[in-house]
Amino acid sequence: MTIPATLEYAGGPTRSLPARLYLAHERLLIGAGTLVVLLLLWEALGRSALVDPLFISSPTQIAQAGWQLGRERDFWTDVRISGAEFLLGYGAAAALAVPLGLAVGLCKRLQYMLGPFVDTLNAVPRVTLLPLIVIWFGIGLWSKVAVVFLGAVIPILINTQSGVKTSEARFIRVAKSFCASRRKVFSSIVLPGTVPFIFTGLKYGAGRALLGVVVGELYASTAGLGHLIADAGNTFQTDVVFLGVFIFMAAGLIVVALLDACERRFEKWRPALH
Amino acid sequence: MAQLITSADPMPAARGEAPALLRLYLAHERAILGTLMVILFLLAWEGLERGWWAQALRPFLGAAAERWQLKPIFVSSPTLVAASAFRMYFVTGEIWRDLGWSGLGYVLGLTAAIAVGTPLGLTAGWYRRFSYAVEPLLTALNATPQVAFLPLIVIWVGTGLGTRVLIIFLLAVLPIAINAHAAVRTTDARLIKVASSFGAGDWRLFRTIILPSSLPFLLAGLRLAVGRGMIGVVVGEIYGSAAGVGAMISQAGARFQTDKVFVGVLTIVAAGVILVEIVRRIERRVEAWRPPA
Repeated sequence: MTIPATLEYAGGPTRSLPARLYLAHERLLIGAGTLVVLLLLWEALGRSALVDPLFISSPTQIAQAGWQLGRERDFWTDVRISGAEFLLGYGAAAALAVPLGLAVGLCKRLQYMLGPFVDTLNAVPRVTLLPLIVIWFGIGLWSKVAVVFLGAVIPILINTQSGVKTSEARFIRVAKSFCASRRKVFSSIVLPGTVPFIFTGLKYGAGRALLGVVVGELYASTAGLGHLIADAGNTFQTDVVFLGVFIFMAAGLIVVALLDACERRFEKWRPALH
Repeated sequence: MAQLITSADPMPAARGEAPALLRLYLAHERAILGTLMVILFLLAWEGLERGWWAQALRPFLGAAAERWQLKPIFVSSPTLVAASAFRMYFVTGEIWRDLGWSGLGYVLGLTAAIAVGTPLGLTAGWYRRFSYAVEPLLTALNATPQVAFLPLIVIWVGTGLGTRVLIIFLLAVLPIAINAHAAVRTTDARLIKVASSFGAGDWRLFRTIILPSSLPFLLAGLRLAVGRGMIGVVVGEIYGSAAGVGAMISQAGARFQTDKVFVGVLTIVAAGVILVEIVRRIERRVEAWRPPA
């Protein structure tokens, strides 16, 4: 891996300007290039008679479908409902799991008591519980909120808890020898040390929450983007299905990017290691 | 953290003269508290269905106490679930067919994911330019809830075995590929440098350095994939399938046979736990040669 890189570098200074520009942005250029080539291939395949457009649609058709849907009110209702399901379920999961994870990490007995339940729930793909959740909450908004909540709460809880467990024992010992109170130890050592773990959990949880939205709506729903995808799939509107998939993709990327930004903000005080 | 807890605990000072019973409790605190909570939970659940709590609360709440008794279709109960499980496993044996059907899709999907994900990830880790090309795609796919592809897959291959294999593959392939990629990237560069200065070729490097040092990552990826694949089994079958454990759960749910739903869920839990444990065993086995750090 390192060998080709060094060979390339030997010729570096004599390269022409375009070559140097290319090398400086190689990663971006190759990445974008691949995407463009793939999209073009897709478009060509969709327009040719080789593959039924019913099967693969094409980027322009998807864009058209997006443009049309964007002007319909139903579409925005779907977006709003899926968004509400995600925010309510995920928000509740974070609001419960972070404090509970901290408590469980700090209190051994609480961990002993809750451990079996958390481990069992962690072993179930929570979407398995959907039929039960539908019996309990119906097919409206709240069954999806419940599934999103269940999906997200476990990874956040487990990560927060293991964050507390791995706090630096030396720091705590030092603080205690200087007579720091329990609250002080918690707020100045345990909590800051746990923040990266909490964010890892939140990121995992966000993925699980989105999964919950999709599966919940595919399984039983009256509105929402998953419902839109399922409906479009049943009526062979492949372009709309792809559009829905891309919206979920964008949502996933945006949520992770937002959490990354939050994490960086909370971690700014940390001195750089390298 | 352990420090913080033990020193705040009033027990240590008294531990020496603690009575035998207390010492026994402290030695097995974890098991005792855990079991106790599970038993309490099961009792509370059983009571909800049998109306114990409604009876106990009637003197205080009057007619309103009836709310504390729930119909079996709503919550079922541990004994009902156990009876149902016994029936499905040993009397009618109906679940074995579902298990076989689900297992087939799972094995095929996971095998395909390993067969595609490992070489893809390893190649991307080794060739920088190839990694630039596939990384954006992998990141985007990884951020997508892959089950959203389900309606598309159904359009492509129908609702048979193919759909389930594909969705399991799609869910499982990403953790495998991403871990394989990271594995090659984190190979000790000094080892590679030494080996290549002694004239080792690419294949030799791969076989003697990259592969052994990647193995833990690959297995960790496999462990993640095993869990993801379980999601695929359930979702793939819930969405459109006539047979399999997921289909059984979904059909039982639609008919309000709550006890059967629980049996299905517990079956999936058991399968997941067993599979993850198998991968853990393999991990430990493979790691046995490594000198402790």
